[in-house]
Amino acid sequence: MDEMVGLAPSGSMGSGYNLDAFERGLAANPHFIGQDAGSTDMGPYYHGTGAPFLPLATYRYDLSFMLRAARQRRIPLLVGSALTSGCNSALEQAVQIVRELAREHGLKFRMAVIGAEINKADLKRRMAQARFESLGPREELSADTLDLCGPIVAQMGTEPFIRALDAGAEVVIAGRACDDAIFAAMPIMHGFDKGLSLHCGKILECAGLSAIPYDLAEPLLGRVRRDHFEVEPCHPDHRCTTVSVAGHSLYERGDPCMQPGPGGMNDLTDAKFTQLDPRRVKVSGSRFVPDATYRVKLEGAEQVGFRSIVIVGIRDPIMIRQIDSILDAARRRAGERFQAAGIHLTYRIYGKNAVMGELEPDAHLISHELGLVIDVVAPTQDLATGVAMFVRGTLQHASYPGIVTTAGNMAYPFSPFGIPIGPAYRFAVYHLMPLADPCECFPMTIEEVK
Amino acid sequence: MTSQPQTLASLANVIRSKNAGPFELTFDIMFDNVTAYERVKKSGVINAARIAEAYRVHVDDVLVCRPYDAAVAFKITLRRPVGSGDIEDRDVYGCQQHVPLTRLEVPASPELGSLNLR
Repeated sequence: MDEMVGLAPSGSMGSGYNLDAFERGLAANPHFIGQDAGSTDMGPYYHGTGAPFLPLATYRYDLSFMLRAARQRRIPLLVGSALTSGCNSALEQAVQIVRELAREHGLKFRMAVIGAEINKADLKRRMAQARFESLGPREELSADTLDLCGPIVAQMGTEPFIRALDAGAEVVIAGRACDDAIFAAMPIMHGFDKGLSLHCGKILECAGLSAIPYDLAEPLLGRVRRDHFEVEPCHPDHRCTTVSVAGHSLYERGDPCMQPGPGGMNDLTDAKFTQLDPRRVKVSGSRFVPDATYRVKLEGAEQVGFRSIVIVGIRDPIMIRQIDSILDAARRRAGERFQAAGIHLTYRIYGKNAVMGELEPDAHLISHELGLVIDVVAPTQDLATGVAMFVRGTLQHASYPGIVTTAGNMAYPFSPFGIPIGPAYRFAVYHLMPLADPCECFPMTIEEVK
Repeated sequence: MTSQPQTLASLANVIRSKNAGPFELTFDIMFDNVTAYERVKKSGVINAARIAEAYRVHVDDVLVCRPYDAAVAFKITLRRPVGSGDIEDRDVYGCQQHVPLTRLEVPASPELGSLNLR
């Protein structure tokens, strides 16, 4: 075997993808289809609750084409980080969709399901035995923090995928996984270089985001060979360029050259990007350097309370000129009325500085109308809604110098005004955990689906 | 041939910000011509102290600030002052924090036009 060809339908399962281009990708005879289905990117809520980012029907729609294509061609389908956080409950929802699709379309296959959620008691035992290096949280990771968290997941590397393929799996549905591992497993299993395989995986995981025009919903092909890999968009009018591919090598990574992952560092210092033709780029020189100790990244989000919001518009120019002092006064009133601990009131003033806050370089500019989100996090949902509605009421009839609109200060886009959002979270676990065996906390079950 | 001082936005064709995990904010500045990239690189305006000032973080929180020739790009990574989606956060993806960079002024270059790496 002199190459291993992978096809990535889309950069994010559930968002849809170009099916014509996907067909073109299949015509290139890929050896496998890989699909990333999760991230921490959408914030801590999804890790905290374990809820998938999108309605299940969207995943089902996306999966139906890739599952049928993979079975028709007798090539493996590998899905990682299902669904969103990749915890057990979300994984089970993905597996259920796969079973239903198999029944619906009369498909038979061997499926491997790989868990990535770590039991908290097991985690506490491990914490007592080894130091977990923080990749962000400033506080030391404690057992109490774990108890406040939703499901804790670890990002698996290529090894659990390879074990599943070795067991004859034709469909692999995995919980939280390192994005590039989903695509690197097949080439590594067949003896291709680990650095090239992972780098190619890193380009494939976001599919068409590495091509021009940038589009997450455009399928991408990657061909790993002995001393290089090659990437090509499936859409005939799209193109990979040395800059788009090298640029994507930087995407969402802290360092352009040293990219850490499970078990080691992918060193792109000597990576060379060559334009083969207007649509294809060849990459060589990426090099995997194993760590002395195999470590995986843990992720978890702790609950910090419940969030409720009110969204309003303010148009009066006299009020807009004094917006800061008016909002400060309402905050003081709320502080006098509600004295419980753990209440956080955040004003998000769109049209002023909601996006950048103190960093806003155009602080002197202010729009002719403002969108205000009154955002309250409090220990209970009722208290959060109560505070948000109190602030709303105070602002609605606040008096200020020069007021002319004595019938009310704010426009509401809809009713109801107070919106309970549910639990609020923050990432509290983002640490490296040492493992003796790369598969030890990623249990696999094999199921004959028919 | 000399050039006028120019903003980074007028020289680069991609200036983007994004999370690199929930606790880091990373910026990519990419160019479609090597001359402009080299001019910015030689000017030295993209340095940790300038970035720390623009984003009001301690210079130690500028974790990476370097050119990457292979991508004709600069990479800058900051420790996020607030984790993604935490109570005080304003931009969960971190993808709208690039504007201060667009305004960095790149000084006039006395030797524009003769540089080409490839």
